[in-house]
Amino acid sequence: METGYKRVLLGLCLTLGVLPALAQEPIQVIEPELDRREFEPPAIDSENFEVGLFVGMISIDDFASEPVYGLRAAWHLSEDFFFEANLGMAEADLTSYEKLSGGAPLFEDSERDYQFYNLSVGWNLLPGEIYFSETRAFKSDLYLIGGVGGTDFLGDTWFTATVGIGYRLLINDWIALRMDVRDHIFDRDTFGEDETTQNIEWSTGVTFFF
Amino acid sequence: MHPVLQLFTLIALLLIPQAALADAESLRESHVVEAYIELHTHPGRNYPVFYVAERGESIELLKRRTDWIKVRNVRGIEGWVHVDAIGRTVDDRGEVLGFTTPDQDDFNTRDWELGIMLGDLDGSDAITGYGAYHFTRNLSVEAAYTENYGDFSDGKMFTGSIVHQMFPQWRYSPFFTIGGGTRETNPRSTLVDTEDRSDGVASVGAGIRIYLTGRLMLRLQYKHYVVMTDRDDDEEAGEWKLGISAFY
Repeated sequence: METGYKRVLLGLCLTLGVLPALAQEPIQVIEPELDRREFEPPAIDSENFEVGLFVGMISIDDFASEPVYGLRAAWHLSEDFFFEANLGMAEADLTSYEKLSGGAPLFEDSERDYQFYNLSVGWNLLPGEIYFSETRAFKSDLYLIGGVGGTDFLGDTWFTATVGIGYRLLINDWIALRMDVRDHIFDRDTFGEDETTQNIEWSTGVTFFF
Repeated sequence: MHPVLQLFTLIALLLIPQAALADAESLRESHVVEAYIELHTHPGRNYPVFYVAERGESIELLKRRTDWIKVRNVRGIEGWVHVDAIGRTVDDRGEVLGFTTPDQDDFNTRDWELGIMLGDLDGSDAITGYGAYHFTRNLSVEAAYTENYGDFSDGKMFTGSIVHQMFPQWRYSPFFTIGGGTRETNPRSTLVDTEDRSDGVASVGAGIRIYLTGRLMLRLQYKHYVVMTDRDDDEEAGEWKLGISAFY
């Protein structure tokens, strides 16, 4: 019974749908002979991505300064702005308290691995040119960078804001030397109460555009 | 393999590289039709102009960095020209090259989108990195990774969503989204007697994308999550996010 109703309704719908379509069949008077031009710009190699390695030192709050190394990858959106992803690693030693007290260590070795990652936006604030010799000039950029990410340290992941300033010197079209100073700021409650820690990274690196 | 198929494959293999080569050869040459174009020493508007290519001069296009194209003339002089200037030069067939700087039209017809967002997930700080592919102008699929950092636990969340924007041609473009994924919750190590857990999540949300300039846009969104826990009650959480994204 129900199927019958459905059939009737469906038939009605189809008839109503088809009739206006038939009535409105457009009458073609002139056959347009348009040769549409495709505005397809030539495919030339674009080099907007930059990847590279960095090494340096990081001063970990409440711990000592330790070597740090990692990866950077950037996407240059315009001559002014770029997105950058960073991944870095360091290993913290004993805290001053642990060294002086001589007691049992407060953390396991695996908890002392300091790993950070962030996504940042960079702004090429002061583009410049370095005159190396009479015939050779290198492009340089002084940039400000800021981002957010996480830090895995002391058994937890901490929300981390990163701000910094850096210098990029292109020795040719696609190889760049970089120097960076960045502050990794996060709140930590490992020692009982919430405290804001400032962990300053100083690094140099080399990056490649492709 | 069928012999005919083999023959076709052979022909295709022989033809493809030649076609590609021929294309590359003819497309990389360009002729100046404006009175002149300026060559800068480096890719940037502040760098000095050291050479001016005249009308009719033939230039070779080497590579592109952001909005700048490296060119070489017949005398081997190399410099950087802005795409807007190159866009008015012509190829061997006399057709305009049509290079442009990214603008709102490109925003309207974008294929890919990549961004970072920062906000609040149920009272805790949260960050998201996401990528989206627009398969029609209205519909896109998104993959997102979110981390949030609470006082008692932190969480990691992988989600996939479908996003629908009703008015893709608007500069302020609203959207709806539904999605799902998994969430991993790690209680703080300072707490005792807790275990990591992994749950499914479903989400529904709405937001707005605002075209800024160049390849950049702003994104503001609200999402409501349902975390399907093993316990008697599901958890619900609201999330506000503001982010910056780039499109391609």
